[in-house]
Amino acid sequence: MAQLVSCMAVAHAPGMTGWFDKAEPGQRERLQAGYADLGRRLKAARPDVVIGFGNDHLLNLPFDNLPDMCIGTAAQWEGPAPWFQDWLAIEPFRVPGKPDVAHALVQALDRRGLALAFRPDLLMDDNFSVPLKVLTPQFDVPFIPVHMNCLVPPVPTPRACFDKGALIARAIAEDLPAGLRVAIMSTGGLSHDPGGPRYFEIDEAFDRWFLALLQQGDTERAFAECTLERMRAAGAGGTPELIAWFVAWGAAQGAPAEIVCYEPTVGLRCSMGGVSWK
Amino acid sequence: MSLDNFKRTLPANRMVFDVRRDMALVQRFRSDLEGLMESYGLSAEERDAFRAQDLKRMLALGVHPYFLTQITRLFHGSANNHQGSAAIQAYRRQLVDSKD
Repeated sequence: MAQLVSCMAVAHAPGMTGWFDKAEPGQRERLQAGYADLGRRLKAARPDVVIGFGNDHLLNLPFDNLPDMCIGTAAQWEGPAPWFQDWLAIEPFRVPGKPDVAHALVQALDRRGLALAFRPDLLMDDNFSVPLKVLTPQFDVPFIPVHMNCLVPPVPTPRACFDKGALIARAIAEDLPAGLRVAIMSTGGLSHDPGGPRYFEIDEAFDRWFLALLQQGDTERAFAECTLERMRAAGAGGTPELIAWFVAWGAAQGAPAEIVCYEPTVGLRCSMGGVSWK
Repeated sequence: MSLDNFKRTLPANRMVFDVRRDMALVQRFRSDLEGLMESYGLSAEERDAFRAQDLKRMLALGVHPYFLTQITRLFHGSANNHQGSAAIQAYRRQLVDSKD
């Protein structure tokens, strides 16, 4: 039996690395402290591999063949993809992959009725480059990306993502090699709207309401109220990335989350923050 | 963002999708947009929208709205993409400040 040793979710706005100076000074300090805290928690869990769930941003999953989820099977990942490097102000990095674990997870989930797409050639933009840079600045923890469709209808519902997360956690616990320590790091949100009319605003009320739902561990209320439509109303271009947080929440069996940090960073055109599950 | 008009099959969507994955295509977008659009089979309306950098027209034709901010970066550059950048200002003028 492998062990799920850490489960967290964070926002990944490109401004966090690309133009962080445009956030207010107090917000910068609190976010740096909060993300550093999450990074310490991740390191303290001593994972053998981090499995990341995040929006594909229409970069890898083509419109003519678009799965809900695609797991990365490469032995090594290079990021950010070239066109995104100056945008993110992140120097090229390399992080090891875990093809054996990725393939084992695909097979385990096949047996459990969930078919994941899998590829070795996924490009990274802000989705994983920003959290890896901030949470694991040495890029020394093996990483498996799972790219999700958050922006092309039909987008999977929060409940479907929660259920997939729960199934993935069971497959990790029951089917992956004994002794393997696995962390889940979901990334996306919070409220933002690239490509939409709310691009220059964020929805702090939505963010705080959403975080409170996680904090309360009230999954049924979240499924009923935190619909795709509600997320789209808070910024359709980016807020639905929070379906990735439902994957982590499902892996955490719906437990109440601890809010580690939250800041409504208008200057980054995206609210930033993160939560952790025990 | 409204996905009401988004068309998965629109040639422009395939072109922008491919361009962001390949720096050679980024260069071609900047140096030979006409040839690039020709090779992807964009309609006359799509080509006019890209020539004019007309984001609203692109949206109406079926370009995925998430691509609009990416397209402004293809035209105006990516670095230091804060509210004052040329790419962001181009977006703001057309899709936020404009009332038509």
